[in-house]
Amino acid sequence: MTLDLIFSAVLLVFSIYCFFFIGAADNGTATELGAAAWPRVILGLMIVLLAVGIVNMIRKKDGKLPVSAEGCKAFLHSKLLLGMVICAVTAIILPYIGFIPTSFLFLIAYGVLLGEKRPQMLVITGVVATLVLYIIFQGPLSIFLPRGFGFFRSFALTMESLIGMIPGL
Amino acid sequence: MLNTLISGLQIVLTPSTFILIFAGTVVGVIFGAMPGVSASMAVALALPFAYPMNGVVAIAFLCSVYCASITGGGITAILFKIPGTPSSAPTTFDGYPMAQRGEAGKALGFSLVASAVGGLIAAFCMAIVSEPLAAVALKFGPGELFAVAFLGLSVLTCLDNGNLIKTILSGLLGLFLATIGMDPQTGVARFTWGNTTLLSGVEMIPVMIGLFAVTEVLKQTAKRDKKDDKGSSMDGVDYKTAIPSAKEFWAVKWVMLRSSLLGTIVGILPGAGATIASFLSYTVEKKISKHADQFGTGIADGIVASEAANNAATGGAMVPLLALGIPGGNAAAIMMSALVLKGVQMGPLLVKNQPDYLSSVFGSMLITNIIMVFVSLAIAKVFAKILAIPYSILGPVIIMLATIGSYALKNGTGDVVLMMFAGIVGYLFVKLGYSAAALVLGLVLGIMCEENLRRAYQIGAGSWNEAIFTKPIAMVLLLVCAAMLLFPIIKPLLSKKKADK
Repeated sequence: MTLDLIFSAVLLVFSIYCFFFIGAADNGTATELGAAAWPRVILGLMIVLLAVGIVNMIRKKDGKLPVSAEGCKAFLHSKLLLGMVICAVTAIILPYIGFIPTSFLFLIAYGVLLGEKRPQMLVITGVVATLVLYIIFQGPLSIFLPRGFGFFRSFALTMESLIGMIPGL
Repeated sequence: MLNTLISGLQIVLTPSTFILIFAGTVVGVIFGAMPGVSASMAVALALPFAYPMNGVVAIAFLCSVYCASITGGGITAILFKIPGTPSSAPTTFDGYPMAQRGEAGKALGFSLVASAVGGLIAAFCMAIVSEPLAAVALKFGPGELFAVAFLGLSVLTCLDNGNLIKTILSGLLGLFLATIGMDPQTGVARFTWGNTTLLSGVEMIPVMIGLFAVTEVLKQTAKRDKKDDKGSSMDGVDYKTAIPSAKEFWAVKWVMLRSSLLGTIVGILPGAGATIASFLSYTVEKKISKHADQFGTGIADGIVASEAANNAATGGAMVPLLALGIPGGNAAAIMMSALVLKGVQMGPLLVKNQPDYLSSVFGSMLITNIIMVFVSLAIAKVFAKILAIPYSILGPVIIMLATIGSYALKNGTGDVVLMMFAGIVGYLFVKLGYSAAALVLGLVLGIMCEENLRRAYQIGAGSWNEAIFTKPIAMVLLLVCAAMLLFPIIKPLLSKKKADK
């Protein structure tokens, strides 16, 4: 069994489900293609190609990434998984704690993951990069970055008023 | 033509206008280089500055921002694999590997000069054939536009990275993602499962940033795991900022010319735009190149094809705007709104009654494309130096930049979640041999394909003959598509037959 085969099988099941699920939106007439027509053409082609791909994989036994207990164990202890988790957590906490704390924590956490061992360097980079990005986007480009809630919101508002004091921003 | 040139230069070489065009070029390059700030967003951000100007100067200024932002998009595509604008996505295919080899300066040099040449050729085309070309573009109805979008999709077979089925599946997945959200014609929700965020559809930019930038950082993270903290291949590389020699530029002259002409033609078609132009041009060059196998490994032809075409499309997009009052894309629509606000009557009579507008755009494009090379080189040299920073610092900053780029689109964190998800799925895609580029192409062309197909069917009163098969332009384009799609399947069969004989 390979990850390739599992991925294809999951995608096939999902495509078949969507092919029938869109049926609820089928509002076509004799002179008008309904909302379901185009997605069904795409999903139909996907189903055929996925089925061909799966048959080929089983016949030739050439699916990529064999799934084994050792491989799973190595992945669970890998930096890659940790990197994915850090990215996912960052996206989730961003609206709650706002841009500045999220960026600072992310830059330090991912820096450590990528092998940066000097704590001063991590903190300086975290602060400087966060402030540079914040000032550029919040100031001249007028992109209002997430403020967060509660204490974080008050902190973001303070930062915004400080930036407002810089002439030209 | 000569009158337009003289009158255009008279307008743009007035000291105050020249300073505005210079400022527009600098701002455009910087905006374009920032992920998430698309060309249309750059023009929109520059719009308030254009309000106090008179109409002729305003369009010259906005035009400089537009052209420069498309060029700026190539800088981050080459250095960080983050396409600054969607049209720079194909630039990452060869630009990033070249920068990884330590030839960032060379890659940027090719990109900037190709952009300038593309822009200049498009400007001349615009001045010479503005009216006749616009008349031809008017013959492109929904059936023909569907065929153009489908032609773009046939590019899929060229993005093949060893497994044709997986490449086509990636493209289909992109087309499927483009169907998510509210159906624009009937208002029916498709594949939203009651989620209101999905009603507005899957945004292209977060998916693209995730697939290219976040996936790349994850790849580097995995590499470090294997090397046991000894650092990746990206650390300690001497990034040369030397630009290519005249001989190297001369070697890609035909690629530059072909891509510029193709970009101009695609740019003229309403709705097609710079993104389709760059993908299509990259594919055409890959198809006709003697060293097609080297595309994607970091060769100049790939960078030149993409950058010359996307910049030429900016000139093309100005043709329907000025000759017919039809904006060719989002940025052109924003420029049109600025002119309408100034009381300018857009339409076929604009060029005839007020030729200053055509001259002004022509002059602005000439000057901008020349200044742009020097401005961009200076900015790119600063950007290239950033690559010397250790990846343990640069990698996380790239993700934060990508996060802002996705957030800025709608000021919503939903797109950040989408970007991170796309990044993680993109990593799986790479590992399993699927094509992220094909998925992006499907996502870009999906809406255009579906909308025009349905419109053509409606106009043809439910008859496919009336909708497409009796339209000569559409049929020729579809036959070209069929040939492009079937060629990779037939080619091995023919070679096998030859070998058997």
